[in-house]
Amino acid sequence: MTDLTVLREVAPSARLAAGVRISEFCVVGPNVTIGPDTILGRRCSIAGNVTIGSSNVFNEGCVLGSLPQDLKYRGGGTLLVIGHRNKFGRKVTAHIGTEFGGSLTRIGNDNVLRDGCHVAHDCYVDNHTYMGEKVLLAGHVRVHDGAVIESLAGCHHFTTIGKYARIGPRTPVRRDVPPYVNFYCEDVDHSPPAVHGVHESGISMARLGALAEKELRRALSELFDDESALQTKIEQLVNMGVEGEVADLCEFCQRSLRGVFGRYRETFRGQMPPEAAEFLPPELR
Amino acid sequence: MPTISPNAIVAQGAQLAGDVVVGSFSYIGPQVTLSSGCIIENNVSITGRTTLGPRNHVFPMAVIGASQDGCDAQTECVTGEDNCIREHVTIYGGVGAPTRLGSDILIMIDSHVGGGATIGDHCIFANCSHVACEAVVEDYVRTSGFAAIDRGVRVGAYSFIGGFTGIDRDAPPFAMLLGFPYRVRGVNTQNLKRCGFCDDDIQALKDAFREIFNGQCEGPNEQAIARMLAETNLNPRIRRLIDAIQAGERRRRQ
Repeated sequence: MTDLTVLREVAPSARLAAGVRISEFCVVGPNVTIGPDTILGRRCSIAGNVTIGSSNVFNEGCVLGSLPQDLKYRGGGTLLVIGHRNKFGRKVTAHIGTEFGGSLTRIGNDNVLRDGCHVAHDCYVDNHTYMGEKVLLAGHVRVHDGAVIESLAGCHHFTTIGKYARIGPRTPVRRDVPPYVNFYCEDVDHSPPAVHGVHESGISMARLGALAEKELRRALSELFDDESALQTKIEQLVNMGVEGEVADLCEFCQRSLRGVFGRYRETFRGQMPPEAAEFLPPELR
Repeated sequence: MPTISPNAIVAQGAQLAGDVVVGSFSYIGPQVTLSSGCIIENNVSITGRTTLGPRNHVFPMAVIGASQDGCDAQTECVTGEDNCIREHVTIYGGVGAPTRLGSDILIMIDSHVGGGATIGDHCIFANCSHVACEAVVEDYVRTSGFAAIDRGVRVGAYSFIGGFTGIDRDAPPFAMLLGFPYRVRGVNTQNLKRCGFCDDDIQALKDAFREIFNGQCEGPNEQAIARMLAETNLNPRIRRLIDAIQAGERRRRQ
């Protein structure tokens, strides 16, 4: 019998907490930190400056922290940070950031990424999100709390997915998706994707309270039942003096309208993104 | 001496240049040649009669030179210089005609290149792009995510293939191709500018595209092509476009 227990390669300087389980054929590089009770399935490869929190599960074939697929990247000491209790399917890939895009790729807590998902350089994935099989996030994408992205959807670089929004399967996301909406194509080959009503399970997961939920539903229906003259309708809402979730929704939409091709984050091309102040370690700012 | 991890398997007969790096748990088959500067990361499998040119970088979990039926001894694959083959990419070897990759190609995560396919220089394939067997992709082609190129199809140089697009018949050069079945949605101006085309050429191509493809879902406008061919000093770029369209139409009728 071959002794499978020796068939793994962990660099001596990698910092592994108690209860970390590393399966056969894994390769863990020298600048990797892994928190307690995290499990790496077979053939996982972790290289680069990667920090992983506690109780994550990585299934077979995950590759984390390899070089960004960006031709402008010149080998800076950039980071990939993964929080706690995330579940990664098979063959999930996540890359480190790039120097000119904020130097950090961040995946928060309690996320589920199914098989074949890809989180590219400088993405910020918040908490409690779900991504189906082979969801592709291009560079610099922000996914807010509780967003659901169904299988085979692809997000263009610099897009923002609002909180508790749902992206339908096989949807090409080329502009920002507002929070709490259902966003998909009626016919993927011939019509662009659009907002189709409220994401019901998302809005109930957010637990807003009866009154706030009613106001939010009214605002969403006013803005997106017919998306023409969106700017005017938002201004009308803002002038009425809205607050809470509706005010956040208005701000989100206004930012997207100000951005390039409906993508707010594109205005930070080549600069530090707004999240850097919150998440980036001080020495890299 | 090449730097080979003690956990890698390099079969007897494989030819490795002096500065090649092979990572842990990778397998290099007996008929493989790796030229100088190649970096093979961990868990890579390179089989068949595969030759990687200088400075190819192969990332974890990639498979190069494999065959559909597991009979790797017959398959052949040749690559040029400075290619980057990312994680989980599968490149099959061709039986009879080898799979040929040019130089300076970036093949992103989870893409696939079928047996006997030919890819030109400076191409970029985004994640999950699929090039089926015996397809031909010319120089400077770029694809977006989930693009698929059908078996035996030829994609013209400098074209851009949009996300989720299926190329089910020959595609012209210089074009933006979107949808399924794909439609020509204009000239790939950005890429042409980057590749040093002068403004006059780009404008001439834009005018030609408007006449040939405008409003047409199925096939180009034959009358417009005939009219352009009758012109005395036709722009060589437009000549190339028309030649590619006519060759595609001929192949379609066969």
